[in-house]
Amino acid sequence: MVRSLHVMIMYVLCHLGLIFFMFPADIIASTEQGHWFPILIGIIVHFVCLLTYMKGLSFFPTKDILSIFSKSKKGVTFLFFAPILLYLIMAIIITVRAYAEIVTLVFLSHTPLWTIILLLLSVSAYISYKGIEAILRAAFLLFILFFPILLFVLIMSFQNVDWRYAIPFDTDLGFISKPAYFESYFAFAGGFLFLGFVQPFFSYERKNVILSAIFLIPFFLFSVYIPILTLGQASASKAFLPFVLIVDSINIDWLMFDRVTMFFLLSLIAFIILYLSLSLWKAIRIINYYIPKSRPSYLLFGLSVAIFFVCFWIPDWKDVENILFMNSFLRSYVLIVVPLFIYYIGRRLKRKDTNETI
Amino acid sequence: MKLSNKNVIYLICSLLTMVLILSGCWDNKDINHRLLPVSIGVKKVDDQYLVILNIPVPIDGSMETKIVSAKAETVSKAVDTISRNMESDVDLLHVKLIFIEKETAEDGINDIIAGFMRSRDVSPKALVAICDEDLQEFFNNIKINAEKKGLSTYNYFEKNAGWNPDIALTRVWEVFRGIHSYTHDVAIPLIRSGKDTTMDQIGSAILKRGKMVEQISSNETLLYNVFKGESGNGKMEVMEHATVMLLGSKTDNIGRLVNNDAHMESLIKMRVVILETKGEPSLNLIKEEINTLISERYNKLFTKLQENEADVFGMGQFFRNQIPRDELKNWRSDYFKNMKININVKIDIQNEGYLKTT
Amino acid sequence: MEQMVLDIKKALGGNDDFFIKRDYLLENEVLLLGLNTLIDITKTKTIFQKQSEGLISQGKTSETIFILMGELFEDDTKKAITSILEGKLIIYIENTKKFIIYEPVPKGLNRSIEVPSNESVIQGPSNSFTEDIDTNIGLLRKQLTSNKLLVHSFTTGKNQKTKISLLFINGVVDKELVENINSLIEKNKSMDISNLQSLSKMLGFSSWDTISKFNTTELPFHASQFLKTGRVVILVDQLPFALILPNLLWDMFIVESDRNFPFPIMITIRCLRVIGALIALISPGMYVALVAVNPEALQIELALSVAQSREGVPYPALVEVIIMLVVLELILEASIRLPKSVGPTITMVGGIILGQAVVEAKLVSNLLIIILAATTIANSTLVGAQSSLSIRLFKYINVILSSLFGVLGLVVGLVFISSYLASLTTFGKSYLYLNIGRKEQ
Repeated sequence: MVRSLHVMIMYVLCHLGLIFFMFPADIIASTEQGHWFPILIGIIVHFVCLLTYMKGLSFFPTKDILSIFSKSKKGVTFLFFAPILLYLIMAIIITVRAYAEIVTLVFLSHTPLWTIILLLLSVSAYISYKGIEAILRAAFLLFILFFPILLFVLIMSFQNVDWRYAIPFDTDLGFISKPAYFESYFAFAGGFLFLGFVQPFFSYERKNVILSAIFLIPFFLFSVYIPILTLGQASASKAFLPFVLIVDSINIDWLMFDRVTMFFLLSLIAFIILYLSLSLWKAIRIINYYIPKSRPSYLLFGLSVAIFFVCFWIPDWKDVENILFMNSFLRSYVLIVVPLFIYYIGRRLKRKDTNETI
Repeated sequence: MKLSNKNVIYLICSLLTMVLILSGCWDNKDINHRLLPVSIGVKKVDDQYLVILNIPVPIDGSMETKIVSAKAETVSKAVDTISRNMESDVDLLHVKLIFIEKETAEDGINDIIAGFMRSRDVSPKALVAICDEDLQEFFNNIKINAEKKGLSTYNYFEKNAGWNPDIALTRVWEVFRGIHSYTHDVAIPLIRSGKDTTMDQIGSAILKRGKMVEQISSNETLLYNVFKGESGNGKMEVMEHATVMLLGSKTDNIGRLVNNDAHMESLIKMRVVILETKGEPSLNLIKEEINTLISERYNKLFTKLQENEADVFGMGQFFRNQIPRDELKNWRSDYFKNMKININVKIDIQNEGYLKTT
Repeated sequence: MEQMVLDIKKALGGNDDFFIKRDYLLENEVLLLGLNTLIDITKTKTIFQKQSEGLISQGKTSETIFILMGELFEDDTKKAITSILEGKLIIYIENTKKFIIYEPVPKGLNRSIEVPSNESVIQGPSNSFTEDIDTNIGLLRKQLTSNKLLVHSFTTGKNQKTKISLLFINGVVDKELVENINSLIEKNKSMDISNLQSLSKMLGFSSWDTISKFNTTELPFHASQFLKTGRVVILVDQLPFALILPNLLWDMFIVESDRNFPFPIMITIRCLRVIGALIALISPGMYVALVAVNPEALQIELALSVAQSREGVPYPALVEVIIMLVVLELILEASIRLPKSVGPTITMVGGIILGQAVVEAKLVSNLLIIILAATTIANSTLVGAQSSLSIRLFKYINVILSSLFGVLGLVVGLVFISSYLASLTTFGKSYLYLNIGRKEQ
C-alpha cells in the first residue's frame, strides 16, 4: 500500500544517511579481520529490536507511542520519555556537528563551519515544521531524485576492488570490548524509533518495514567491505572516512564530472537532512506532550536555536567522538529498553483484555 | 503545527537575508581567479621540499604552460608560498600527476604520499610517476616541448589518450596502499624528459613500502600490467620469426602452501594476432617463441623482485586464506622471497590477418 | 410609470444603452426593458412577436402564455436588474407588477470556437474554450457525453456578477472535495471574482503559495480527461480556460494527447519533460556552484575551458548569472507583451545580438549563454503556464544557495523545494499524489 511505501522509504533513507560515514570506520577500527561478524551481530540486534518494537506497537493500532501512555501519570511517563528525548536531541547535535565537519572537510574548506550548521539546521527545521506528512512525502521525492545517484556511485565504487582482501573470514569476539564498536550502533539505532510516532498519520504493514530493513543489509556490508576490499585492512584503518576515500578514488573517464564523491556525499546529506527533520519532529512531539500549552512552532524554533549554539560550542572532532561515546548508554536504552518496554506493556494490555472478555 | 502562512514567509525571508548578510563574506574564488596546476613535482633537498608546479594558463585563447617552484619545510608550505607570489590562488584540486625525483623516492616517499592522502585537495586518484633526472630540468623541458598544449603531460597518462600498455598506471591511493599493505607493492612509471617528445618512459620503479628499491624495463612493465589485468591491447612483440600484437590477456593464479613454503601456479592466457613473419614459420613455432619469450621475461622479473622482497604483483593476496594474519605481516621476507613460481603461458592466435600461415 | 419600473430606471437609467420600449402582448400593454448592447433588439422582437402569435393562435389564455414565454416573477426589482445586466430581456406587464425574464437573441459578443492560442496540440482535439461560460460547458458536454457529468452553477459577486460553474463526474470524484468547494463558494458568494487570485481567496487558499492550486487548460479535451480521473473543473465566465482542481505535480509532465502516441514514445516524451524540469531547476545553480565554489567537480579540460571563457569577466559568478537571468526573463516577458508582428524582433535582438555581444564584450562567459539557453528551453517543455512559472521562480533559490555553499547549496535547495512541494495540499489532497481518483487509506 502507498502509505507503507512512504514509511519504507523513510526507513531506508534514514539509515542510508547514517551508514556511509562513521559506521565503516568504527567497524574497521573494532576488528582486524572477519568484519562480517560484528556487522552481522549489529544487524541481528537491529532486527530483534525492530521486531520487538513493532510487535509491541501492534498491540496499539492507530496509537502513537505517546498516546499509549495517555492513561498513566505524566510524571511517571516522563521517566520513560526523558531518555528518549535526550537521546534524540543528542543525536541531532552529533549528526549536525559531524556532518558539518565532514562537509567542510570534503568540499567546502573555505566556508565557516557555523554557516553549514545553520544551513543544515534551518532546512531540517523547516521540513519538520511542515509536519510528518510533508517529511514522508519529501522522502519519497528525494528518494526518486537522489537514490539513483547513490546507487550509481555505489556500483562504481567496486571499480578497484580486490576480492581477496575479504579473506581471512575467521573472526573473534574481541570487538565487543572496543568503544568504536558501540559507536557503530549509531547507524542502527537512529532510524527505527520513528515507527512509533507515525502511527495515527501513516499506517504501515510490519512486513514492509522488515523488507526495507532487509534491503539495507547489503548497504551495511558494502559500506565496510568496499574500503577493505580496495585498500586492505591495514591501509583502510588509517582512513578517517574510509568509504568517502574510496569513492574519491573512483576514476570515470566518460563523465563530465571529476569527483563523483561529491554527488555521493550530497545525496547522503539530502537524506541526513530528512533524518534530522524527522528527529526534530519526534523531539517536538515529546516536548509538546509535556508542555501542551506552547505552540509547537515556537518550541521548534527554540530547540533549533539551542541545538545550533550547542553545535557551535563543540570545539573539535575529539569532542564529537566523546559525545558519541557518551551517547552509547542512551543509545542502548533506546535500542533495547524502549522496544522491550513497549512490548511488555502491549502484552499486559492484551492479557487484560482477553481476561475481561472471558 | 500551523503558523499563518505570512509568518512562514517572514521567517524564511529573514533567515535568507540573515544567511546572505552574515555569510556572503568568505572567500569563494571564481574559477578564473584560481590557478589549476596539472602536475606537481616534489623533490627533497636536505630537510626541505622543492615543489614545482606545472600550471596551464589561458592566454588570449590558447593555453600556455607556466612552471613555478618554491622551497619550504613541507609541501603545503611550499604551495602556499607559490600561491602568495602568484596573481591568483593556487588550487591543487585538479592535480593529475605527481612527479617525484628518483633520489627522493629512494629515500622513501611515505610522508609525501600521506600528506597528499590527508589533504582533500589532491584527489587520491592522481597518478604518481618518478622522474629520473633533475626535477627542475625535467619541468623546463616539458615546458619547451609542450608549448601551447597545456595538458600534454596529463594526456600522456590518460587511458583514452596517450597511454600505452607498457606504462604503469599507479595512483596515489595505490601507493598509499602499498605503503601499508602486507602483501601489495607497486610499480611506478619512471620518466625522463624526451628530446622530441614531451616525456620518455624508461621503465618502472619498484616501490617497496614507499621506498624505491629497483627499476624494471618497459617490457617488464607490460608484464606487470598484464598480470594486474590492465589491458595490454595493441602492444607489439617482436621475435625471431614473427611480430605479433597482443589483443588481450588473462591470468589465473593458484597459490599453495607446502611445508610453509609458498608455491605459485600461474597460467597466463594471451590472445594475439600475427602482424609480420620472417620466412615461413608455422603457427606452433610462433606460439613456442612467444611462450619462451614471455616465460623468460616473467622469470627474470620475478627473480629481480624476490631479491628485493617487493611483491608488486600482490602474490600475497593468493595466500590470504592460508597464512594467518599475524604471519602475513612478514609475507615479503618470510614467504615471498623463497616462493616457487611456475609460469605457464597459453597463446591463442586469434587470426593471422589477410594471409594464411601454414 | 409604476414604482418598479421607476426603480429599475433609477438603477440603470444612467446608462445610455438602457432602453424601455412599449409593446403589446395579447391585450396587455407591456414594457420591454434591457440593454441594447447585449441584446439584438430587432431580431428579438421578431421572434418575440412570432412566438406570441403562435401561442395566441393555439388559444391559450394570457396567464399560460406569460408562463410559457419565460420565467414569470412578481415584484422583484433586484432580480430584474440582475437579469438585465446578464443580458436578459425583461417583459414588464403593466398594472400587474409581474414581469417575464425573456431569453433574447444576444448580440454576437463572443468569438467563435477557435484553436487554442496558448497551448499547442499535436494530434489531438483542438477546440478551445471561449469566454462564454455556456459555450464552455457545452464544449465539455460534447467531449464527455455522460449522464454522470454534473454541473453546479453559482452567480457570485456583489458589485460584479460572475457566473461560476463547478463540473465533476459523479461517482468518480471524491464527494468530500465537491462538498468542500460547494460550501466554500456558497459561503463566499459575495466576493467579486475576476481573476484566479480572487478565486483562490474565495476557496480559502493561501495567497502566498508559489505553486498555483489550479491547473489551467484551454482545451476541453484535456479538461474532460481530468474530469474522468476524478478532478473537479471550475469554469468562470469570461475566463477562456478551465481550472482544474486540485493541481498535482505530475500534471506538469503529462498532456492527455500524449496518449495518442504509442506507449514507449509517450513514456519517452514524459521522461523528457521530467528531465526538462530538472535541468531548468538545476543548471543555473550548478553553473554558479561549479564556477565559484567547487571547480574540482569538473573534469580538468572542462575546468580550464570554463576558466578561459570567464577570463576577464569582472564580477563573481552569482552576479553574472543573475544579470543574465534577469535579462532573459525580460525578453520572455517582453515577447508576451508585444504584438505578434513585433515579437520576433525582440527574439532576434535578445537572442542573437545580446547573446553575441555580451560574450564578446567579456561581460559573461559563453558557457553561461549555453546554460541559460538550455534552462529556458528546458523550462518551456513543461506543461501548463502556471507550473512552468513556478519552476522559473524556484531556480533562483538554487542559484543563491549555490553561490554560498556550492554543490551542497544546490542539493539543499533541491531538498527545500522538494519538501515545499511535499507540504502542499489542496483540500487534503497532497500535491504529490499521482492520481487522486485512487483512494489512499
